[in-house]
Amino acid sequence: MSHTPDRYREDGPPAPAATPAARITDLTVTAHDGRILLQDARLTLRPGRLTALTGPSGSGKTTLLRALTGLLPPGTERTSGHVEVLGHDVFTLSERDLRTLRRERLAFVGQDPGSGLNPRMRVRSLLRELSDDRTPEAVRALLEEVRLPDDGTLVTRRPAALSGGQQRRVALARALARRPRLLLLDEPTAGLHPELRDDIGDLLRHLAGEHDLAVALSCHDPELVERIADEVVELRAGTPAPGTSRRSGVSGRPPEGPGEDRVGNRAGDPAEGRVAHRAVGSVRSSAGCSREDRAGDSIGSSVGRSPGDRKEVRAGAAEQGPVEGRTRHRGSGTGSADVPVLDVRGLCVVFGRRSDVPALDGVSLSVAPGAATGIVGASGSGKTTLVRAVVGLQPITAGTIRLDGAPLSTGLRGRSREQRRRVQLVTQNPLGALNPSRTVGAALGRPLRLHRRCASGAAPVRVAELLEQVGLPAEFTSRYPHELSGGQRQRVAIARALAADPDVLICDEVTSALDTATAQSIMDLLVRLREERGTALVLISHDLPLIADRTDTVTVLDAGRGVESGPTATVFTAPTHEATRALLRTPAGVV
Amino acid sequence: MSPRAVALRVLPALLLLALALAGPWLAPHPIDAPVAAPYAEPGGDALLGGDQLGRDVLSRLLAGGRDLVLSSLLVAALVTGGAAVLGAIGALRPRVGRLVERIADVLMLLPAVLGILLVTLSWPDGGRLAVIAAAVVLGVPYAVRLAAGAAAPVAASGYVEAAAAGGERLWHLVLREVLPNLRATLLALFGLRFVAAVYLVATAGFLQVGPQPPAADWALMIRENSPGILLNPWSVVAPSLAIGLLALCVNLAAAALAPQSGRKAVTVL
Repeated sequence: MSHTPDRYREDGPPAPAATPAARITDLTVTAHDGRILLQDARLTLRPGRLTALTGPSGSGKTTLLRALTGLLPPGTERTSGHVEVLGHDVFTLSERDLRTLRRERLAFVGQDPGSGLNPRMRVRSLLRELSDDRTPEAVRALLEEVRLPDDGTLVTRRPAALSGGQQRRVALARALARRPRLLLLDEPTAGLHPELRDDIGDLLRHLAGEHDLAVALSCHDPELVERIADEVVELRAGTPAPGTSRRSGVSGRPPEGPGEDRVGNRAGDPAEGRVAHRAVGSVRSSAGCSREDRAGDSIGSSVGRSPGDRKEVRAGAAEQGPVEGRTRHRGSGTGSADVPVLDVRGLCVVFGRRSDVPALDGVSLSVAPGAATGIVGASGSGKTTLVRAVVGLQPITAGTIRLDGAPLSTGLRGRSREQRRRVQLVTQNPLGALNPSRTVGAALGRPLRLHRRCASGAAPVRVAELLEQVGLPAEFTSRYPHELSGGQRQRVAIARALAADPDVLICDEVTSALDTATAQSIMDLLVRLREERGTALVLISHDLPLIADRTDTVTVLDAGRGVESGPTATVFTAPTHEATRALLRTPAGVV
Repeated sequence: MSPRAVALRVLPALLLLALALAGPWLAPHPIDAPVAAPYAEPGGDALLGGDQLGRDVLSRLLAGGRDLVLSSLLVAALVTGGAAVLGAIGALRPRVGRLVERIADVLMLLPAVLGILLVTLSWPDGGRLAVIAAAVVLGVPYAVRLAAGAAAPVAASGYVEAAAAGGERLWHLVLREVLPNLRATLLALFGLRFVAAVYLVATAGFLQVGPQPPAADWALMIRENSPGILLNPWSVVAPSLAIGLLALCVNLAAAALAPQSGRKAVTVL
């Protein structure tokens, strides 16, 4: 770790570990329409300790983190309870003091950090504006700290020229540049590949241990939580307080008395809780990671929930699936009997005038009807650019895209409505994917009507059905996106893509914002669709076990080039390219 | 903001509008017959005194607002609506956007007063319509730049891309995806364009293109009565106040109607 400790000047003697950096007592947050987002939440953050908030999407993780900054999401208010940060009650502080506190002591990195970066500023200025030390060395050190080494052009790029994972790391570097005492991270590792995820996890551990930072993060990834967290607070929807599970920290501190940090909380109305359970219920009961098994368990004691178990269970599931639509290899000719539903050849994309750095350079991809194809690669390797080009959102400079053998126009406007319907993309960022001024019902009903997927009278029924498929209650039809959590929005976006009844469904990191149980049930849903309707799946994910279990073929991208592709099992067991080996050589990658 | 607070802020504009619309029927005296001495001080029959011909200022004030208010509202609505649609199309179709902006640049070079004189003098029978047409043509270029700027980030957002990739046509994108999310900006723009329209329509009245004497019109009253401002200040101050108050109230209402949170945009800390 290239971390330079001297950047953290010690202002005064470090606070004794017993003094909490932040304490939330009996916090209740309600929306203006009376929905309860958090009820009697309690949380204590201590310097030097890393606290992880887990729980199903919609259980109030983001709300709880935002409460610590004194800035609740718009349309919600605190109805009772106190939030004390570094000895100040943030809800009684003056605007000025609160600003000072946020500037000097508190750092928050949101769920979609890309939108927190000023699109007009270069990476260099983004980092400099917050740090005392403005030298290029300091900027480089910060970037190295988040494992984003400067390749010469990085510091001069603007956020739009960074990949999702790079944006996330720049946002994290910005948070660290302030040298905060309290670091709040909302899904810090979603959408990052496993190696990077573990690096960032180690970095957070290191920061907490060495500099007495109090770190709180919300996280869906049980492995990561288990690896790095000193304390785990599980938020649950609709059930009474499960309590905090603890384990002795990596830093060697003894666990403190139990029960103090209880977060008894309910997200939304009871219906929401019920749904959370329904979603859980649809996970195969044999799955070792079902919520029932681990509810109330301390994370430390559930070590048995290893990736190996998961793989075993999923392998069982895979056997049940009919073997159909075996994907053909790229370059294996196009026999009329087995035309790939989607065939991409020699795709090149160049961003702007930086013609020396092509985002994509001759990438090919072939998806057979009803097959599942994975796209993997380090962050910034062009995965998202590839699928955006496929759906017509990204202009390409060379290459062809064929749907069922018929060439597709490279831009959206040259494509017929039917062609657009047949290829649907669920994007990486759940926050911007839904129109803020339309209800969920309107968002889902529109593709149904537009593509005449059901009789006009049956649309509301079908909308409710779609919502249920993604594990949301029918009441959500009248909600607006700002009333949903990140994971719930992601599920609505998936339901919207399903409403169009596509032939090819492209999912860009769709499960990274979801808790394990919901992610499992969503993946099960996608697999079921593939089996029942022959929908071809294209999955982009950093979760290699997921790719290994759910896809037939995989394409590996590295720096805009397709370096390897073939049957998933072959590629993952006998990687031939360096980049593939680098991806697989990760602690979390069990394949 | 609570619904009651919104209502409170919208109410003055509604009251003033109602008064201006119903004014001609409320006027106590005919607007074209003298009831007092020229520039008579307030008192007796004429609450606000007399104007240059001894006509009742209050009656003319009540009667003279309707046309001004209606044409200004019409101009503001046309300018804002046209600019919003053009701006949104421009943001979604960059090529059209560049064309629209270049044309706007050229039209903006035309001074407002000159533009009004050009239109009204070349269309002498146009009256109000000529003034409205001139005000719309002069207003859209300014507004379209603003609307295009506001629409650009929305047009690049994930949900617009999703809708476009989902097979939606341009009109649906403009009217259902982009413009609803620009409500706050467009309402503020409407307020601004209303003030600008009042200013333009009043300028036209002051220049005596458009409404002609003996018609009652606030702008015309200011011009006609300005020589006697020292004898009966109300003959000028009253219509001036009315115009100023109207502009204030409409802007207050527009700001109150803009969505405050949540649906305005999905915010990320």
